[in-house]
Amino acid sequence: MRAFNAELSKLLSLPGIWLALVIGALAPAVVAALDSIVEKADIVAGISTRLSDIGYIGLGFGVQGVIIIGVLAVSSEYVTESSEAGGGQQITTSLTVVASRLQFLLAKACAVIVISVLLCIVTIMTTVLATQLILGEHAPEFEWTRLIGAVCYWTFTALLAFGITLLTKNGMIPLTVLIINSSVVSFSFLLTKATKLAFYLPDRAGMDMFMSERYLTPVTGGLVMLAWVVVILIIAAIEFHRRDVAA
Amino acid sequence: MLTINNLVKHRGNQEILSGISFTAKPGRVTGFLGPNGAGKSSTLRILLGLDRATSGSALIDGKPFADLQHPLATVGALLDGSGAHRMRTGRAHLRWIARAAGLSRARVEEVLDIVGLTHAAGKRVGSYSLGMGRRLGMAAALLGDPAILVLDEPVNGLDPQGIRWIRTLIRERAQSGHTVLLSSHLMGELAETVDDVVIMNRGKIVADGTLEEVIGHYSTLEEAFFAMTSEHTGDVV
Amino acid sequence: MSVLSSKTFTRILGAELDKLMTLPLIWHTLISTFMVNIILAAAYTTSSLHAEAGTQNILNIGLASMGYVQAGFIIIGIVAVCSEYTGGQIRTTLTTIPWRGWQLTAKYVALAIVTIPAALIIAATGVLYPYIMMRDTASVAIEINTLIATLIGATGYLTLTTLLSAALGSLIRRTTPVLVTLVSYYFIVGPLMRDALPSIKNYFPDTAGYYMYMVPYANEINALTSVQGTGIVMVWTLILIIIAIVFYRKRDA
Repeated sequence: MRAFNAELSKLLSLPGIWLALVIGALAPAVVAALDSIVEKADIVAGISTRLSDIGYIGLGFGVQGVIIIGVLAVSSEYVTESSEAGGGQQITTSLTVVASRLQFLLAKACAVIVISVLLCIVTIMTTVLATQLILGEHAPEFEWTRLIGAVCYWTFTALLAFGITLLTKNGMIPLTVLIINSSVVSFSFLLTKATKLAFYLPDRAGMDMFMSERYLTPVTGGLVMLAWVVVILIIAAIEFHRRDVAA
Repeated sequence: MLTINNLVKHRGNQEILSGISFTAKPGRVTGFLGPNGAGKSSTLRILLGLDRATSGSALIDGKPFADLQHPLATVGALLDGSGAHRMRTGRAHLRWIARAAGLSRARVEEVLDIVGLTHAAGKRVGSYSLGMGRRLGMAAALLGDPAILVLDEPVNGLDPQGIRWIRTLIRERAQSGHTVLLSSHLMGELAETVDDVVIMNRGKIVADGTLEEVIGHYSTLEEAFFAMTSEHTGDVV
Repeated sequence: MSVLSSKTFTRILGAELDKLMTLPLIWHTLISTFMVNIILAAAYTTSSLHAEAGTQNILNIGLASMGYVQAGFIIIGIVAVCSEYTGGQIRTTLTTIPWRGWQLTAKYVALAIVTIPAALIIAATGVLYPYIMMRDTASVAIEINTLIATLIGATGYLTLTTLLSAALGSLIRRTTPVLVTLVSYYFIVGPLMRDALPSIKNYFPDTAGYYMYMVPYANEINALTSVQGTGIVMVWTLILIIIAIVFYRKRDA
């Protein structure tokens, strides 16, 4: 518990995390708002085919915030940017404070989960508010099951980012790849055109937890994404356990 | 010759330097002392053109740093850290500096030899120990064979051989008429090396003179330092 | 910015080139970008071979991967500039080269020198791949003038995007926020804005840049010519570079 508290305060003292929280809380609302504006005419006329996904679009494309949280939670331990001290990495301090590496990782992952869940709850509120402001009485009802799916999707995404960064140690590559993949031109979306197997990629499967246009059922989708998260975290944990701190 | 004249630096609402003046003369080693946060590093950064002074001036042979024709051949500077990107090799780091100053690659090998880093020159800076990082920083400072050396904590992290090497190097430099400004927290080390002493505390100069003058009636430099700096901070040991 | 002899500027440029060349991350990014580009070109070619033959313009197939490839160049621009702030290298740089305006200018020039050939090679392989694969199908005859114009456009776009990223990097100085800003803009905000604000989308560097290399569809309204597109991206880049230099000269390192 003490290690968890330490990780939480480490994360919250990073300026980058606050940027991530602001992006995370606002980006989906903006996406949902823009989407609502575009669709408004169709919805009012009652001919929109996407009414049921309004708002969820934002939650699907707005995961950049949690991606940043997952990446920064790890990369901040390694980076020494603009520091005056000669090449000191925080990881050395962290691992002398919490001797067990597994405990260190668990504490960090828990901190990431807690922040992601809280962020997603705030975001759902801003997104619902945004759609209601724009669509008024035409705004769709939000169902609890789907919203819980969105919270799971966000948390799993943060953990994926966390695990991948643990493997690469450098935040730039996972950040770029994951943000691009969260966009409308995502790699996995492209791949679904080529092979049905791509529907089992973590982000595609995860989105099925709350989008109405889906390939897997929400529960299967969630389990598939969870499996990815668990596998990647296990590989990352083994690799992290084996390597020298300075390497 | 380094001339600091009535230097003031504000950062936000804080006054970091409140009108400090002193000189570092050729042929002498000037020790620059003060507790953490006294304003030593800020002074050195302004002197080297890294930060801007709110008012006052810091001149090198009568010119601000940015007006020097050949900065590397005029002032050799060692600030904290290695000053090198961790993914580059030590040799590659020195080579780009040499390129910028129009020096030969042979000179890079010379300074690598002088600081004793030849064996590690092909390794990435990120794999260096603290002391090796300081040696690399010294190599960069010596690259242009400058007449003035500005060294911030040069012996930090060095092994006993390294400390003795720095001490000898500094004395030799001063004897051949060069100017050395040396900041350090190691009183015993300083008392053996310096000719003149400047002590700062809370953005002000509290002592400035030859080593004998500054020690005055105290038994050692350390005693004098604590007497002059601790009454303000209140942490008398 | 005071006058500097051309000899001194050449030296600074040499030093900045040295810095770029000895940074492993720059090379890793370039090589990865090249590989990803080939994989994407292969994917697009295969999918369009399955589609009705001959309906697709080879140039557009070859450059469809540009959207992804630009991410690699954004990273290079950011790394080139933000690496100064790792390990306190900026202090070494500025005590060696205190003429800040010229130093930063030299860095941008060096970056362009590295980017131009890399961008040309990457764009050319992207076009060459579908050309070789689709030689046997109909309507592959590309006019050599169009090919050259498109490749120049693509190279120019990638180079300007790199410089724009570098300029933003000099302003913000920290890798992560710059990277997040740029990648989010080019991949998330930009595409959304194209749908939501079609009237002004052409004035932004991503959409304007698109017209530098893409052959517009015949029925597309509001399309820009490649010269107009180049002009708009260039104005954005130059403005950001000028702001970056002004701030770089003024502030504490």
